[in-house]
Amino acid sequence: MNRVAYVYHPDYLLHAPSLEYSDDHAELPSRLAAITEHLAAAGLSERMVSVIPGYPDMSDILRVHSREYVQRLEAACRRGDTVLDAEDTYLCRDSYRIALLSAGGAIAGARAVASGSVRRAFCAVRPPGHHADRDSGKGFCLLNNVAVAARYLQAKHGISRVFIIDWDVHHGNGTQAIFLEDPSVFFFSIHEHPSFLYPGTGRRWETGKGAGEGTTLNSPMSPGAGDLEYRMAFEEMLPAAVELFRPEIFLISAGFDAHRDDPLADIHITAEGYRFMTRYVVGLADRYCGGRIVSVLEGGYELSALGASVETHVQELLGT
Amino acid sequence: MFVVRRMRKEVVTIHPSASLFEARELMRGNDIHQLPVIGEDGGLVGIVSNRDIRQATLPVALIRGATEKEADDILRSTSVEKVMTRKVIAATLTDTLEDAIVLLHDFRINALPVVDDQGKVAGIITRTDALKAFIEALGVGEISSRLEVVVPDRPGALAAIVSIIKSFNVNITSLLTTGHSEEEKRAIFIRVATMNVLPLKQAIREAGFEILDPSCFHL
Repeated sequence: MNRVAYVYHPDYLLHAPSLEYSDDHAELPSRLAAITEHLAAAGLSERMVSVIPGYPDMSDILRVHSREYVQRLEAACRRGDTVLDAEDTYLCRDSYRIALLSAGGAIAGARAVASGSVRRAFCAVRPPGHHADRDSGKGFCLLNNVAVAARYLQAKHGISRVFIIDWDVHHGNGTQAIFLEDPSVFFFSIHEHPSFLYPGTGRRWETGKGAGEGTTLNSPMSPGAGDLEYRMAFEEMLPAAVELFRPEIFLISAGFDAHRDDPLADIHITAEGYRFMTRYVVGLADRYCGGRIVSVLEGGYELSALGASVETHVQELLGT
Repeated sequence: MFVVRRMRKEVVTIHPSASLFEARELMRGNDIHQLPVIGEDGGLVGIVSNRDIRQATLPVALIRGATEKEADDILRSTSVEKVMTRKVIAATLTDTLEDAIVLLHDFRINALPVVDDQGKVAGIITRTDALKAFIEALGVGEISSRLEVVVPDRPGALAAIVSIIKSFNVNITSLLTTGHSEEEKRAIFIRVATMNVLPLKQAIREAGFEILDPSCFHL
């Protein structure tokens, strides 16, 4: 059995929409409550090493985001704005602080894995991050947790090549944009086809730009796709990419909203599908980089599906 | 949506007396496929394309053992005037993008020179430029969610949908409506700048409109 860190902070529950939005919103504190309850009930929490994250240094955040955006976000929360840039992403007064802590959670997981004290980490964080790019937040995301973790590993732990797998049902447009021209970070996203689902990006010919040409890979999936189609996509696309890139660590943008019961999208993955996907990445990690994986929560909005999917995900991270 | 807004203003042109060799080099050097031909008085007298150039060397190319030099010799000794299309389909400065796409489609051409009222070339608009304009209008590649709604084909239906979207304070980034296979119905394609489409879809359904589920299209 592998040592797996479980990164979580109770303050993640404090980022919440104001009353006027709470009826209509899906990205709620109850998501994390469901995860923690489910993992405890399944006896999985006690098998993991609990890590309570701290706040990141501003330098960790500024490796990814512009100072202008960070200041704008901070000011919006301080002012009491209830939405960011009048879009779909809600704010409360604590949101800036909690967003920092969320990025801090991804960093804490990365630190624990890179230092060797654990082999893998699962970071149960919110708000999520993969739609946020250098200069803006959107799609429920404020700071790009996985991007921050990737750059942190490169700057502080001497890691050169990071492989990011984003299996959230929405294309990780923010992460893609951040690393589009960067050959040292490989970005692979599997998501519902952009013609049918937010954010409307991530077509199969988006493969990077300039020096980063060849280190971006997208697998858009038709509505109605399920475990079988995802398995085929993984088997078809990942081996060659990983073999060529030779990563030193895997980061997973682990959204669980491709589940068939999730109302936000039209993909039909089951908890067993997430088991396969996790086991597949574990196999790749074991083969190429001593099994090192940092998994960071993104989306997943139907509470019992989320709980069941995180359960199979963590079971596979732990191994038997 | 006027042609003048989307046309390329720097146009590479050629004289009728120039050789096809020069024409080919100009096209290669500028990565273009057509050259408007400008006469003595500066007016548009024809257009020559890379296909015209390929056809000019065809007889030589078919002879076994023919060399590239022999093909080039043909090009050097043939004037643009000899192969150019004289009846040029062109757009005017007041034409719209709709005019341009109809011309490109109906006449099966790839580029439309844009001429002023003196007949001088002011710009050129290609098939690619036209596609780009409509890709942008459709909001493809913009961070958004897409909805497909079927409504009765009568005034007021679209207004109802749009006011529902407004009530959620969501921005519409593109909107397209076309006929539906069923009579008396229209399909509306909307892109909205939000990830949070669920409450929106619910409200539209509750108002009695049909939202097309993407899973229906899966063959």
